[in-house]
Amino acid sequence: MADGRAKRIELRVSNHKAYVWDLEDLALLRAQHHICGVLAGTLPHLSQQNIFLGLPLVLMPEEVVFLVQKEIAVLVDDPLAHQPPSTAQLEAWNRDRKAGVKAQIAASEAKEAVGIKAAKSTSEDAIRKRKEREQKRAAAARAKALAEGSQDLFAPPVETLVATDALASTDQPAIPSASLNSSNVAWMVTVPASSSAELEWYSSEGVTYATIEDAQAAGVWLYPSTSFERAKCAVFRDLWEKGHYMGGGIRFGADFLVYPGDPLRYHSHFAASVIESPIASLKPMEIVAHGRLGTATKKAHLLCGWDQAKQEVSYYSIEWAGFG
Amino acid sequence: MESHPSYALLSELTTKYPRTAGSLLQTYNDLKLAQQWEDLEVFEVPSCSRGAFKGQRPNTTAVLYVIPCSLSESLSLSWFRDAFEDMGKPPHIYLAINAEDSNIVYYKLSPGIVKPPV
Repeated sequence: MADGRAKRIELRVSNHKAYVWDLEDLALLRAQHHICGVLAGTLPHLSQQNIFLGLPLVLMPEEVVFLVQKEIAVLVDDPLAHQPPSTAQLEAWNRDRKAGVKAQIAASEAKEAVGIKAAKSTSEDAIRKRKEREQKRAAAARAKALAEGSQDLFAPPVETLVATDALASTDQPAIPSASLNSSNVAWMVTVPASSSAELEWYSSEGVTYATIEDAQAAGVWLYPSTSFERAKCAVFRDLWEKGHYMGGGIRFGADFLVYPGDPLRYHSHFAASVIESPIASLKPMEIVAHGRLGTATKKAHLLCGWDQAKQEVSYYSIEWAGFG
Repeated sequence: MESHPSYALLSELTTKYPRTAGSLLQTYNDLKLAQQWEDLEVFEVPSCSRGAFKGQRPNTTAVLYVIPCSLSESLSLSWFRDAFEDMGKPPHIYLAINAEDSNIVYYKLSPGIVKPPV
């Protein structure tokens, strides 16, 4: 069955949000389809910060609707795509997991052994130096005692020497056996980022939706459900067709930020607000608020009106006049 | 209002469109006396039920168009479309937003996606 669907990007939907978990898809979406999304995952090696985030990529609902309608992507019901594994698959996974744990424990113990050896050699030097110091001190004390004619000779610290010698020659503590029940070695469990690539029992077969309507009917996807949401989808699509890249507008009090090219290279020129219909009420105060904010941030505010009857978008750019 | 020196020039439009009389007079006075615009003319914008102005900022030659409104009014994108049509499709129109305390703020409206000046 040679249909384009085989090549469509799988957007994994969980709780009515669409995620991209596969790096190649993320690159394709950005480079070829001008859809950027937002990275939302923490970095395992840098988890206590949120300046740099990683997979998954979260898409705006307008981006999802656009991609599915353009037949670039399909929606996958992610929880259901994680099918129950067969007994054989589960046994294999468990074997791999245990082997991985054993390998981790062995590696960390080998590392510990090297560490102990290094520590031991330093203490050998320290013991020798301590011996020499004590001998010198003892000799000096005896000489002093003889000079003063004292009966109480300072006993040479032979016992201490013997003690330190004894310490130096004791065996290392026995290396604990590599059993999974050892509680003094920590090991990590790996959770794969891409279930589709790494879990044998993941399958999008039968839980993939190629249209928004199908996904909505199945209860997997909800957007758009109001006329305002439909207007936002239409404006997003129109701006995309004109060659713009869009980002979330919340930082600038708008519905979208509109960039002339990839956001990594450009600042946005516009903050866009969507007006539901040509006759929707627009208060002058909104114009003041949008206009002033845009001008203060070196952007213009774009009012994007969707005309459902004519199926077209009309644009007005607002700027503070600079006088008055 | 009738005793104000500016009233005479605007009386035709303030009589015809009483609801926007206040913002029409305020905006005229502001443009003429505070902003010191030159060649200031008033004309009718029937589709928006009000008058509007055209003139030049001091020491410039570009003819600019201003349409007044009150902060308490409700506008719409079709209102903008009608205003641009009636005013002869200028490249941009200034919306003079009048507040009750006689403050006026001017915002520039341009049809289409017009990049802000660098």
